Amino acid sequence: MSDPSPATPSPGAPAGVIHDIGYRHYDGPRTGRGPAAAALAVHTLRGVFGLGRPARAKIIPFLLAGVMMLPAVVSIAAMAAIQQRATGYTEYAVIMQAVLAIFLAAQAPYTVAPDLRFRVLPLYLSRPVTLRDYVGAKLAAMTVAMLLLQAVPLTTLFIGELVVDMPGPPRTAEYLASMAGAVGNAVLLACIGVAVASFTPRRGLGVAAVISLYLLASGVSGVVAATMEATNHYDAAAWAWLINPFFLVDAAVQVGIFGAEPSGPGAYPTGIGVPAAITIMLGLIALSVTALVIRYRKAASR
Amino acid sequence: MTILATKGLSRRFPRVTALDRLTVAVGPGVTGLVGANGAGKSTLIKILLGLLEPSEGTAQVLGMDVTAQGAEIRRVVGYMPEHDCLPPDLSATEFTVHLARMSGLPRTAARERAADVLRHVGLYEERYRAMGGYSTGMKQRVKLAQALVHDPKLVFLDEPTNGLDPQGRDEMLALIRRIGTEFGISVLVTSHLLGELERICDHVIVIDGGTLLRSSAISEFTQSTQTVTVEVEEGRDALAARLAERGETVTAAGRTLLVEVRAPQTYDTLRDAVCDLDLCLIRMEQGRQRIEDVFKEPADV
Ligand SMILES: Nc1ncnc2c1ncn2[C@@H]1O[C@H](COP(=O)(O)OP(=O)(O)OP(=O)(O)O)[C@@H](O)[C@H]1O
Ligand SMILES: [Mg+2]
Repeated sequence: MSDPSPATPSPGAPAGVIHDIGYRHYDGPRTGRGPAAAALAVHTLRGVFGLGRPARAKIIPFLLAGVMMLPAVVSIAAMAAIQQRATGYTEYAVIMQAVLAIFLAAQAPYTVAPDLRFRVLPLYLSRPVTLRDYVGAKLAAMTVAMLLLQAVPLTTLFIGELVVDMPGPPRTAEYLASMAGAVGNAVLLACIGVAVASFTPRRGLGVAAVISLYLLASGVSGVVAATMEATNHYDAAAWAWLINPFFLVDAAVQVGIFGAEPSGPGAYPTGIGVPAAITIMLGLIALSVTALVIRYRKAASR
Repeated sequence: MTILATKGLSRRFPRVTALDRLTVAVGPGVTGLVGANGAGKSTLIKILLGLLEPSEGTAQVLGMDVTAQGAEIRRVVGYMPEHDCLPPDLSATEFTVHLARMSGLPRTAARERAADVLRHVGLYEERYRAMGGYSTGMKQRVKLAQALVHDPKLVFLDEPTNGLDPQGRDEMLALIRRIGTEFGISVLVTSHLLGELERICDHVIVIDGGTLLRSSAISEFTQSTQTVTVEVEEGRDALAARLAERGETVTAAGRTLLVEVRAPQTYDTLRDAVCDLDLCLIRMEQGRQRIEDVFKEPADV
């Protein structure tokens, strides 16, 4: 090993003699924690969509992103052909919630599980990036991914509407409400998804855990609400819908803050219902982040 | 100049005390940290990196306090853990570039440094392949490369020869020596084996059960151990007396005598003494006594 460098030119390098120039010190710029954490977030975000990973890692994210575009494409086509709107803005995420949930389940474990499983974490923590930076970067990456998944079709739909020039004013308010809802969904889902996934170093188990949690929440929400409605407890039914995270965000952000029409199958609680939904949503986010930080404190001290 | 120093450093876990009031100082160059399993080597490194809080005592790395200035320390040191830490589906290049960026290198610099450093550790074409298919030797090299990629002033190498075959071990040791000399990066390297560190270190620290057994320059280790062990059937004391008469330094150790070798003439004196006294020589062992023996005789320290 200590012999002079074997003159193996790297592929694509111009042919010629390679001199062993010995060890060179680096005295260029060194960025702080911030840019390093940003680089980690970008790296993770690219990875969520399979970029910089083998081809098979791109299939699921791009397939699901493609499915997310379908209602927008169909709606634009309908507007152009028969001057009718097929899909509204604020109902977009609610209609496509299964796709969003599958994307979350499939990709959230990718953001955290390998570093735990292959014990890469100490290599991060022995560098300037801190535990908070690491967790923050992972959450940011997953949030942006979930946001892109919704914002791209919503914005495409809005641009389509402007281009097609439908009769009447453009539904800018509804578009903006849906974008706010998309942010709410992205933050809530990413926090819950990453937190749940971080509890197991096994990706398959993480995928199963996240999707089970979604099925459980949406199942319980639907069954309880239907039972309450059948027994004429409409108030209780309205609260029961909030068990489903997509209805929770719809009630808190789109309906609560922006005054949109509810997109769920039933009405949401009124009066105290709006601040309650907002509080529950923020509480779930805080709970997930706390769980993540505790989880990583433990992992780091191993 | 001290690279790192600890003062009364302890770390207690619920059931064990991993470090027990350890006080050491280390200068530049290659320093070996030797101890048996569970001696507290990895715990010490983690404390020095600021990854683990000390229970009591203080430690400084490059003049910075580990609890107060952990972030600054981590900027200028490198760490090679003892355990596997390589994701199998990344290539060595991707992995090293990514970790260079995590150390704060801009993108192009990270690429250049990663290529340089992988070449220095001896990874060539295979650096573009996924690491899942690497041999243990190649994995250890990538682990070393990521510790060097940001050009640290000091690297902590936790059992870098672990799992290597004799040739791989020699190559790794030679590389570590080069890091300390040619690259000008100070090294703290741990091992179970004093023998292998003897060849590459300037200074050796021996710890056991979290306490310091010995800390000294390698020259002190080897100087004091130029001895020859003599065993005779009877008349051990007579021989000792005769040798002492001739000016040799002799210590009795059980049934044997340890004779310090001052000069080649010591052997002649020894031979003559045995002949003159007509003793029956059982064993005469040339002991450039290995520094392992420091381990066996903690009482002498
Ligand atoms: N996180 C932990 N929790 C509890 N005990 C620990 C922890 N880490 C280390 N220990 C204990 O502290 C002692 C020192 O461990 P350490 O890993 O520092 O030893 P070492 O010298 O590196 O050993 P080895 O040669 O096996 O790597 C051991 O008894 C170990 O069991
Ligand atoms: Mg260890």
